[in-house]
Amino acid sequence: MALEHKVRGVDHAAFPTFDPAGTVRFYRDVLGFPVVHSICAAGWGPENHPDFIHFFFDIGNDDRLAFFYYFGLEPQHTQQRGDVYAGFGPEVPEFFVRSRHLAIHVDDEADLLEYRRRLDVSEWPVEMQIQHETIESIYTHDPNGYMVEFTRAMRPVTPQEDLDANLTIDALIDVVTAPDPSFGKLLARKAELIVERADWEAAQV
Amino acid sequence: MTALYVLDVPENTTVAKVAAESGATVGKVGPYFEITADGPIVIDRRATGCRHAVWYSCVAGVADGKIVQHDKNALQVDPA
Repeated sequence: MALEHKVRGVDHAAFPTFDPAGTVRFYRDVLGFPVVHSICAAGWGPENHPDFIHFFFDIGNDDRLAFFYYFGLEPQHTQQRGDVYAGFGPEVPEFFVRSRHLAIHVDDEADLLEYRRRLDVSEWPVEMQIQHETIESIYTHDPNGYMVEFTRAMRPVTPQEDLDANLTIDALIDVVTAPDPSFGKLLARKAELIVERADWEAAQV
Repeated sequence: MTALYVLDVPENTTVAKVAAESGATVGKVGPYFEITADGPIVIDRRATGCRHAVWYSCVAGVADGKIVQHDKNALQVDPA
């Protein structure tokens, strides 16, 4: 029995910035995201909390992207790679550094290309444009080093893909809770689940 | 009997088609193509026309077999 799903998307996701001027240029002036809220707060609390500005951009759908700017706070790491929140040394592989990112949805190819056009004439041009399995995306890094993606669906997701995703996750949990997980073991376990369940689950979709 | 499962979505249909042309038997189990053979199953990527993101994520499951090649040229599943 599934739990009732009552949440309504992202209220806000928040990130620190040491460059509020660049951040406003990127999100408000280049991308056109309206500023919709801000808090000017005197520091409080037990940790010598600095005074700060907490400001929000509308990213569509009434969802918001928020930043903290702390007066007087110095950067918290000196690594060359990563973003202002998390720095990585040369020993960390690039795929790992790039794994955490924010993807913003657009309706169609025309809108994706419109954001590409806005970025390409700015200080933060698009670094790559890729067609994945069923989505197409553009990527850049914002003034804080955060990776930002814009993406559009090339077709709607089908019910069988949701079924497949659930079989993948059930197989993944079985494999990672046993010794020595591997991709080969996952595919073997998933084959078992496909044969056990695909017929009756397909009948329900 | 080695079995390779591939989800039946538009991006994957040529994978099953090329497998059938290469001598494997292609059936259906629920929403999946079930590609079976007594020996190795070999699928040529270029013949499928799949772009790389699709190609490298097209395998849903493997029964009684082992992937011995999955690169820009081909996917090969050998009997276990």
